[in-house]
Amino acid sequence: MGIKENCRNELRAAVRQLSDRCLYSASKWAAEQLVGIEQDPAKYTPSHTRFQRGSSSIRRRFRTATEAAFTSTPAAGVSHLTTPSVPEDDNEAIDNDFYLLAKSYFDCQEYRRATHVLRDQTGKKAVFLRCYSLYLAGERRKEEEMIELEGPLGKSDVVNHELVSIERELSGLRKNGSIDSFGLYLYGLVLKQKGSDNLARTVLVESVNSYPWNWSAWSELQSLCTTAETLDSLNLNNHWMKDFFLAYAYQELRMHTESLVKYENLQGTFSFSNYIQAQIAKAQYSRREFEQVEVIFEELLRNDPYRIEDMDMYSNVLYAKECFSALSYLAHRVFLTDKYRPESCCIIGNYYSLKGQHEKSVMYFRRALKLNKKYLSAWTLMGHEYVEMKNTPAAVDAYRRAVDINPCDYRAWYGLGQAYEMMGMPFYALHYFKKSVFLHPSDSRLWIAMAQCYETEQLHMLEEAIKCYRRAANCNDREAIALHQLAKLHAELGRSEEAAFYYKKDLEIMEAEEREGPNLVEALMFLARYYKAQKRFEDAEVYCTRLLDYSGPEKETAKSLLRGIRYEMDVEHPPP
Amino acid sequence: MSGAAAMPGLSKAAGAFTITPHKLSICILIQVYAPPSQTSVPFPFSSVAQHNLLGSFLLSLTKSSEDIFEPKLDELVSQLKEIGGVLNHWLSDHLARKLSSLASPDDLFNFFNDLRGILGGSDSNVMDDDQIILDPSSNLGVFVRRCLLAFNLLSFEAVCHLLTNVATYCKESLSTYELSHFDDSDSDTEAPMHYENMDLENLVVEKVNKEIESRYVVDDRFSFHNHAPKALVRADEDRDFSPGPQVRKINKPREVSACASSSYDVSDSVDSPSGDFLRTNWQIQGYLLEQADTIERQGSSFPLNAFESVLKDLLKLAPELHRVHFLRYLNSLYHQDYHTALENIHRYFDYSAGAEGCDFVSSSSTGCNSFGRYEIALLCLGMMHFHFGHPDQALEVLTEAVRVSQQQNNDSCLAYTLAAICKLLSEFGVSNMRGLIGSSYSPVTSIGTALSTQQLLYVLLRRSLKRAESLKLKRLVASNHLAMAKFDLTQVQRPLLSFGPKASMKLATFPSNVCKELRLSSHLINEYVDEALLMIPDGAFCTQWIKNLKKPKGSVIFSQENECRNNTNAFQFCGQPCSIPGSVLQLLGSSYLFRATAWEFYGSSPLARMNALLYATCFADSSSLDDLALAYGKLIQYLAVFKGYKEAFAALKLAEEKFLSLSKSQIQLVKLQLLHDHALHTGNLKLAQQLCDELGVLASSVAGVDIEIKVEASLRHARILIAANQFSQAAAVARSLFCMCYKFSLQVENATVLLLFAEIHKRSGNAVLGIPYALASLSFCKSFNLDLLKASATLTLAELWLSLGSSHAKRALDLIHGAFPVLLGHGGLELRARAFITEAKCYLADSNFSVSEEPEMVLEPLRQASEDLELLEVSQYGNK
Repeated sequence: MGIKENCRNELRAAVRQLSDRCLYSASKWAAEQLVGIEQDPAKYTPSHTRFQRGSSSIRRRFRTATEAAFTSTPAAGVSHLTTPSVPEDDNEAIDNDFYLLAKSYFDCQEYRRATHVLRDQTGKKAVFLRCYSLYLAGERRKEEEMIELEGPLGKSDVVNHELVSIERELSGLRKNGSIDSFGLYLYGLVLKQKGSDNLARTVLVESVNSYPWNWSAWSELQSLCTTAETLDSLNLNNHWMKDFFLAYAYQELRMHTESLVKYENLQGTFSFSNYIQAQIAKAQYSRREFEQVEVIFEELLRNDPYRIEDMDMYSNVLYAKECFSALSYLAHRVFLTDKYRPESCCIIGNYYSLKGQHEKSVMYFRRALKLNKKYLSAWTLMGHEYVEMKNTPAAVDAYRRAVDINPCDYRAWYGLGQAYEMMGMPFYALHYFKKSVFLHPSDSRLWIAMAQCYETEQLHMLEEAIKCYRRAANCNDREAIALHQLAKLHAELGRSEEAAFYYKKDLEIMEAEEREGPNLVEALMFLARYYKAQKRFEDAEVYCTRLLDYSGPEKETAKSLLRGIRYEMDVEHPPP
Repeated sequence: MSGAAAMPGLSKAAGAFTITPHKLSICILIQVYAPPSQTSVPFPFSSVAQHNLLGSFLLSLTKSSEDIFEPKLDELVSQLKEIGGVLNHWLSDHLARKLSSLASPDDLFNFFNDLRGILGGSDSNVMDDDQIILDPSSNLGVFVRRCLLAFNLLSFEAVCHLLTNVATYCKESLSTYELSHFDDSDSDTEAPMHYENMDLENLVVEKVNKEIESRYVVDDRFSFHNHAPKALVRADEDRDFSPGPQVRKINKPREVSACASSSYDVSDSVDSPSGDFLRTNWQIQGYLLEQADTIERQGSSFPLNAFESVLKDLLKLAPELHRVHFLRYLNSLYHQDYHTALENIHRYFDYSAGAEGCDFVSSSSTGCNSFGRYEIALLCLGMMHFHFGHPDQALEVLTEAVRVSQQQNNDSCLAYTLAAICKLLSEFGVSNMRGLIGSSYSPVTSIGTALSTQQLLYVLLRRSLKRAESLKLKRLVASNHLAMAKFDLTQVQRPLLSFGPKASMKLATFPSNVCKELRLSSHLINEYVDEALLMIPDGAFCTQWIKNLKKPKGSVIFSQENECRNNTNAFQFCGQPCSIPGSVLQLLGSSYLFRATAWEFYGSSPLARMNALLYATCFADSSSLDDLALAYGKLIQYLAVFKGYKEAFAALKLAEEKFLSLSKSQIQLVKLQLLHDHALHTGNLKLAQQLCDELGVLASSVAGVDIEIKVEASLRHARILIAANQFSQAAAVARSLFCMCYKFSLQVENATVLLLFAEIHKRSGNAVLGIPYALASLSFCKSFNLDLLKASATLTLAELWLSLGSSHAKRALDLIHGAFPVLLGHGGLELRARAFITEAKCYLADSNFSVSEEPEMVLEPLRQASEDLELLEVSQYGNK
């Protein structure tokens, strides 16, 4: 209980301090977590608790397994040892007046005026706000110039002109030790933009160690940790915010299980945090647990109906499950909330794609990309649309841009491979499939795609195909394509023993899932023949009898097989 | 925000042209050059020559492609100084004054308004003789018009940006400019010069150049991607070394180190991104083309990192210029960086769809179908695998390229692909085709499936040649003829159909065919004789001209009259680069290199030497370093064989210095060969074995790749074993070597191996067993016309006979005498010595011959032999 109370107090102060320094997104994040902490029912009236909506139906449904795991540990706040003291605000009255004016300007987005008002101030807060608003002014100018100066062959390298002067000032402050953690955050931001990643990392670590509640600093730090090694090498103080950071960083490094464990631990304290729920959904999504993701998002939307963040992922799930009306409902809702968010455009694009109206879909994806050129999934999705429209060069281009933004995007690599395979260049496509498989070796679909590539009549490299299918079969191949193909390929290559093994396995799975279809018949037929050839007549008979349930030529074949079996049995063991 | 980026598959109006401070400067100078309504020699100029010089200079500025960035003001001023002579001050002052007078957007508007005035009207037929009017359709006229148009299209914000940029542009050069200005005013107070007699008609030059430009644009369409196929021809070719990698200014990315973060100087903030402007698209494309040529020519000695950083800058400034990726690919390819090369070639083709080769006019007009041209990607990828020595992958990819080209009806790509496959088949030992080509390439399947690799190669060669001829791909035709010559040299043509009554088959090669193919290949140059000057891309021309301005003028200082140099510059403009494209020269050169090899085979050492020498002297400029190294290697080996090791090592030393920068070069190989021979001759077997092992390591481990080196290493190994009297081991090595040669059907090498067997038997004292081998080798030599090898086989045969007993001495002597003309005329020192000694032995063995009667008959050959052997530093001859 004390832990929760501590967190609450810390966050409360942090929200105030952060918004006082105009770090609004960080303060938004902190406030969200603040409300996400489970309230003590003794202290609050029912109206308050009602605010904490819908209870934890998800937890009841999905968390039972891990429940035991985290109750045994002393909840989330293990790492509490060094909670730094909250810095005092400087309180000179006159300075404060200027500060108030500057902050008002800042709130009205008049950044340069804010900078000007604070030109001679020396308080830490004032210095920070001056530099920060200068930075934002530069950023805004940069955005404008990007459009103004677009060269004939794409962008010219526009930079924030203020970076140099801000950096000079902040590095001076850091040298003589009169910089606070917010200043360090800004300094890290500037350094990152200037490309000196190592120094930026050091500075950001200093910042989060002295003031851990600034989520913006953490996320900047995360973006600088592109490998697990860099992440491990960070010298971070223990604090519960570190768990948030690590969970996030693990997720971005595609270590989904680790990340999930962290988040579930955190949920012990922040049991109503939308943020954590969304992150869990993200992790589950990459593990392709669509059912769970859907449940989480439904709950999330019930609690926070105007949320747009992460909703594109929800739309992907709905797309995959072909929920037309739910997707259109979602699209309508985000459209009304804020149509000029890349996520909104993406959701609408998904909807049109599901409807088969690919031109319109491309239009919305394009709009999403206009809003954010580095919006990874929009590039990939647009690639998919172009594939549907049979415009392969455009698809290739779109996928390639996704890959160049993030070389770890296995979906785009996969898309590239598919596009080339479509054009009848299977060998060329293999390069891309290899890339995608390398990045995500646990996805059976990728292995299957690669195997199919090897299997094409142009290449006909069956041994390689078998290897790929075997990998696919090992990693949770839901549709059991791999098993069937393995059986078939082995049969084709005349290795009936292996073929029988795989057919049998396939059959078992089909039986377990109660699936019917030509594959089942094929498996039964092969096994019947195989056992007959092996002289295991009883087994053969079982399969033949099962075949009799089906109509069509198989039935006749089974009958004749049975007759043969009977005959041979009679020959071997003449009836008494 | 992302107009171009959001439209995959389409590139933005590629010819887009933006106004930059540098272009503004050129406009100002053009205004000086062609002031409205002036007399024939306008105000600041004192002579027509001077006036023309400025015109040429401006023309070159708009065209040259020496760098990706536009020059800074101080660079421009210093160039102006080179051509301005006494006018230098006036011109640069005028420029600075004009530029600094641009203080408000309105000034810019006014300037461009005035600029319009210097253009003549389109109907200005009534022209005064003396009046200078800029023809609107001349090069400079077009330039001015483009500037005007671009300025008119600018938004107000963009005009403001231009103004800021101009201010930065002036400020950056201010200090240097002031310095140089004062510096110069003291020294340059000579009298003006008068070169009125020089009347280069500017207008004519411009017109001509314009035609050149249009032709260049048309011609370039396919040639860009030819960079990969060009490698087809490479291995039998030549190239030269232009000393000194290009010195280029490299903008290093400003990495802020932790310690330096506090000590920024002011210049850092001034050095805003507006400092660097890309040249026009056309110029950059020209630059990239030139660099591509240089990379291919210089191979691994091309400065990898320097160029890489230029490319990175370019990528940052023009992310939609996808060709950069191709250059990165080429760069890493020639530096043997497999992964980067693979990555970049895929990236390039993903972005460009193989259709960017024609984009600098307009991407949509040239009929790039909606499919893109991914078959070119396959072709290039295949060539990449070929380069890295992955025959299996290369074959797979090229097969796919054949299929896709057929589907897409891309005939020229198909022709190149077939040529590439031929190259692959002839270069690498592909013993087992696994039905790869057979299954997909239908014309081949129709002939029959039981084709050997060599027969398949023959069929493919013929088809590829025919295809190239019908498509009028001149260079490809030439290189196909070369490939054909190579086939004729090393392979017997067997009839493709092997059923029916066997007609009298003559299993032999035909040197006349080789000769014919070579001559046909050289016809290529005739195509370019008529077109002479028109083939030069004038961008390169202008680049050269501008570069010459910068050359140190050491000699000029000592020349009597200073003004002379302006004069020479003007003439240089017309008398510059050779008019035949480099790739053609390269092909032509390779035919000479090939001739040298052919004569080596046929056994005429003077002709071989002559051709190699011809290559090394005449084609050094246009050849690649690798091929040049090959030619040098050949020459050094000739030296070793005919003049002994001393001279060869001296030459080797020179060559090593010259090719220092090549990582895996022919020179290295030659060095090992020489050292090995030397060690073998001096009897240092241990060292010889070590060198032989080193030689073997040079070859790739992939089966079928670098066969020549592998064969050579085994041969040398066997020789060492013979020298060490370990005959059974030597025989084992020879046997496995024979199997390998048979597997990859290396018939010429087989003759050598058979001779080796004969040698082993001879040395082990089993002369009777050796004779069949010698005879077999002889018949191989006969059918392949290997005269020198035949002579040496005859010699071995004679030795074998001789060792059977003195009764065969007469026969042996006859054999030797029959082979003497070739042995003495073309054989190396060792062979000659062996022949002389055997001759002497024959005489001695002959019972009818007495030494006391005719001592000279024996002594003379022995003396000769000892002289030859001395040159070779042989410590002991034979095992006697």
